[in-house]
Amino acid sequence: MCRFLLRRLASALLTLVLASGVVFSLIHLLPGDPVVMILGEQAGADPVAANRLRSELGLDRPLPAQFVAWVGELGRGELGRSLRTGEPVAAELGRRLPRSLELIGGGLCFAVLFGVPLGVVAACERQRPSGIAAAALAVAGFSAPVFVIGILLVIAFSLWLKILPSSGYVALAEDPLTHLSCLVLPSASVGLNFMGVVARMTRASLADTLGKDYVRLARAKGLSRRQAILHHALPNALVPVIAIVGIRAGNLLGSMVIVEALFDWPGLSSLLVSACFARDYPVMQGSLLAIFAIFVVISLLIDVAQGLVDPRTRENAA
Amino acid sequence: MRFALAPLGPAGAAAAAGAVLAAVVVASLAGPLLDQADPLAIDAGNLLADPTALHPLGTDELGRDLLARVLYGGRVSLAVAAAAAVVAGTVGVPLGVMAAFLGPRGETALMRVIDVFVSLPEIFVAIVVLAFLGGSLATLIGTIGLLYCPQFARVAYGMARSIRAREHVLAAVSLGGGRWWIIRHEILPNMHSVIVVQASFTFSFAMLMEAGLSFLGLGVRPPTPSWGQMVGTLKDYLFINAWPVLVPSCMLFATVLAVNVLGDWLQDRLNPELQR
Repeated sequence: MCRFLLRRLASALLTLVLASGVVFSLIHLLPGDPVVMILGEQAGADPVAANRLRSELGLDRPLPAQFVAWVGELGRGELGRSLRTGEPVAAELGRRLPRSLELIGGGLCFAVLFGVPLGVVAACERQRPSGIAAAALAVAGFSAPVFVIGILLVIAFSLWLKILPSSGYVALAEDPLTHLSCLVLPSASVGLNFMGVVARMTRASLADTLGKDYVRLARAKGLSRRQAILHHALPNALVPVIAIVGIRAGNLLGSMVIVEALFDWPGLSSLLVSACFARDYPVMQGSLLAIFAIFVVISLLIDVAQGLVDPRTRENAA
Repeated sequence: MRFALAPLGPAGAAAAAGAVLAAVVVASLAGPLLDQADPLAIDAGNLLADPTALHPLGTDELGRDLLARVLYGGRVSLAVAAAAAVVAGTVGVPLGVMAAFLGPRGETALMRVIDVFVSLPEIFVAIVVLAFLGGSLATLIGTIGLLYCPQFARVAYGMARSIRAREHVLAAVSLGGGRWWIIRHEILPNMHSVIVVQASFTFSFAMLMEAGLSFLGLGVRPPTPSWGQMVGTLKDYLFINAWPVLVPSCMLFATVLAVNVLGDWLQDRLNPELQR
């Protein structure tokens, strides 16, 4: 297990290094000049000032040199300063990272809480109306764009029932209750969309497991169908479900962007989007890297969880 | 997904989905014939209106006719998704087939790279690229298409590899068929069903991606409407009138659902050996 952990950790680090290279080259190879963004019209009128600013920002050096400088800063835990505000990027990321993690964590909770039972009903009651309804719900969650789910939730809970806020963010330390109530709708939107993925996988995997001999044995020795499903079939059927969360982690992060925009949630991806519009290179690099890091860490945790639950997967991983 | 409409049976569900999709496509294409309203004409006296005789689906925040905008927006959304699926296929299929014929070392290298791109969260790359390159329709189609080509390549690679091991290919090799001849005459003709199914899934992914990007303000730019972009704008007026935002939302949902149900049916019909 220890060797498996180390190997998996090394490959995660490697992915992150590769990703940082991709992030850096993507941003610097695309056209667009931050100096023009900062100085506006002046840049054309006053080339001397433009060049001075360019060398102050280090943008006049060759790309490989800029990359080495950036990686060096990364090593010291610094990510440069925002071109717009002059604030250190690392501090801003530190403030926003927990908010995005909260959203993803909340979304996963919703997805598992609704997705697994739906999948179980869909697999066990195949031919009955309840099973068909469960499968239909899973497909609906899977096919609905995240923002459509979010808007429907806002209409139901903010506009009609008036019990949850439709957008905004309040720090946990300031007012824990309001903080949580602001979190419910965004994470439910992420979760109900991802629920479709979880339910589909649970249904397929459980349907497969129900035909296995050990489940028939459990029934033969006198367990009720309910007990056989809950205690024998389901735990084994959930292993592929853990795996699909890792494989589809990209979907989860993709929903995060949309949901942060819809609910004015001040997380990492709203920072990325605003930095893109402003050509704020350091902020773009930092936030993209943080998002990819979340992605790599999720995959790592999922792999380790799978390795713990199912020793056979340790052989193939990494 | 075939269970969703199980009372109708799989073929019935697919037929229902096909009918929905056909209705959406025909309505979008024939939009100007069905509805005389101009999608850009502003009716300042009727902002965010509920459906009336004059505006059958109501109006948006500038008083523009929603029926006309949903039909025109449908054209844009469907066209972008279809074109992106075509781009993904034309780049991805050759890549995947090539990978299967590169020899063991080239195969591993190419597939490793493709695997990295498959696992990347596409939307972030799309956000950065579109923020820099602007939102012309061609850029949007190219970006979305290229982002989904690795998935296509992976499917094509898997299929090409399994066909390569079949006896008719061995026979062709032993009769002296060259690599290109075999790819053209033995591999590609046997792959079309897999390509069709993957194209249908790519279409639905591309449609969701375009909608998400346009929702963020990075995809289709105003005044050209697309469903995602309409939702992105109209969501701000939810508390004044919740009706207008529901119109493009429903169109998007219904279309993606129909494509997914059809894709699953095609998968079961054309590739029964591939059980998910």
